[in-house]
Amino acid sequence: MTARPRIMALRVAAAIPLSPTLKAFTFIPADGGLVPPSGPGAHLRLNLPVPGRTLKNAYSLISNPQDRSHHSIIVRRVAGSKGGSAFLHEEVQDGDVIEAGLPANLFPVVRTARRHLMVSGGIGLTPFLAYIAAFEAAGTPWELHHFCRPDERSVFEGLLARYPASKVNIHCDVDLAVLEEVLARQPLGTHFYTCGPALLMDSAIERAAALGWPRSRLHSESFGGAAEGGEPFIAVLRRSGLEVMVGADTSLLAAIEAAGVEAPCLCRGGACGQCLIEVAEGIPEHRDHFLDGEERASNRLIMTCVSRSRTARLVLDL
Amino acid sequence: MLISDIKSRPVYERLSLDGAGRRHLVLSDAPRPLGEVIDGTDGAGAPLGYWIVAATSAVDAQPQAEAAPGNAAPVERRAFRAASHLLDRLSHRLAQETVGLRLYAIGEEGFIWDVARMAREAGLEPSECFTAHAGSLRRKVFCVHCKTVTSGVTTSLAVCEGCGAHLVVRDHFSRTHAAFMGVQADAEAPGELPAVEEVFP
Repeated sequence: MTARPRIMALRVAAAIPLSPTLKAFTFIPADGGLVPPSGPGAHLRLNLPVPGRTLKNAYSLISNPQDRSHHSIIVRRVAGSKGGSAFLHEEVQDGDVIEAGLPANLFPVVRTARRHLMVSGGIGLTPFLAYIAAFEAAGTPWELHHFCRPDERSVFEGLLARYPASKVNIHCDVDLAVLEEVLARQPLGTHFYTCGPALLMDSAIERAAALGWPRSRLHSESFGGAAEGGEPFIAVLRRSGLEVMVGADTSLLAAIEAAGVEAPCLCRGGACGQCLIEVAEGIPEHRDHFLDGEERASNRLIMTCVSRSRTARLVLDL
Repeated sequence: MLISDIKSRPVYERLSLDGAGRRHLVLSDAPRPLGEVIDGTDGAGAPLGYWIVAATSAVDAQPQAEAAPGNAAPVERRAFRAASHLLDRLSHRLAQETVGLRLYAIGEEGFIWDVARMAREAGLEPSECFTAHAGSLRRKVFCVHCKTVTSGVTTSLAVCEGCGAHLVVRDHFSRTHAAFMGVQADAEAPGELPAVEEVFP
């Protein structure tokens, strides 16, 4: 099997401010041709050169997956972040070329669902813009409930203007009680998806569960949260003969990559299992969705993209 | 000649009410006391229906509400003339249902897997539909050669109702067909058939 390129070069075709903190970017392949295939819910990981390091930030694709002429994302400028969103908002101009990983999907649509109910908060709408484009193309029933601040209502209305008003519901109150009635009247075969602030997702899922929705119908997306933050530790790469400091706000995988070591990885979200590495010494703090209970308990394996260490040193077979 | 240890052979546990459900519907292919087929119905707060196949024309299938023990919600009972009658009403009921329903089926495998298939086609998830075996072990057999389903098979060899082939009844179970696979017994040596045994009483 020949290795597929893991990095592609994208040219900024348009960078359009939607609000003081929201900016939409459209990318086309720097070398022409079509963008790689993606599905609804997929994200793009951009390599963002900020002072001192390269951030790999993930952004949901909002473009219709069937249209491979471009990739589009919307970025919220976050105050007090590591600088990725500020870089995109301030430094990136039309015509610039940015490196990105191939699209990956940790939030796919359930293909067997008869109907899709979506609940989003703020910028969490982005994956659902791709969902809705796919649902409209396929004629699959859907319903969206979007929660946002009053001052951003018009921005989100604009993004959803082309879709039937009967399917789009925008709420500017923080009270999710409106969802009670919505969740109680969904026909069998409906699947539920939520994306947005953790508090909104947890609350929406809790309400659904209380109304008899089983876990298998409930799907949520959160970016990076699991990989971020934690006690700093030292990763010893036995085969490379390196000791890598993993800071409080970097992932183990990012630290390994920053040290110049090529580590296996694919989804970078704890789902696919590609980045599995053997642990020689130390106790991992598992944050992935891939290993089973027995594998976790053995402390012999770690998924570097999201998991960290419970011990000050973690010796890896890498 | 029976091929055992096949993973598709369903394994059943005793039914137990899923407390997360908001409405429950229990289906039985024979009259059985409710407490005998499912645990946890005493004190259940959510509405519960219990539909049975009475196998007699002396029932009218009309819902009969009945107070349940404890503080439980009332049980709505319906008796049907035949399994076909019950499945017909079930398809209407599922078409009107909303997420929150839990469905339970108990009886012979042909019946419970017909229910499971109907539930799946209506959009129920496996985690919302539960099955348990009771009664005869007789099987529905799907002829892999002519695709005909022969019902009520109790023997290790069965004659296919479609093509007349002598079929070995395997443990290989298809949830799609709600039937066990049958393959021609004398395919390699025509006319040479093993002894027929009564194995699914």
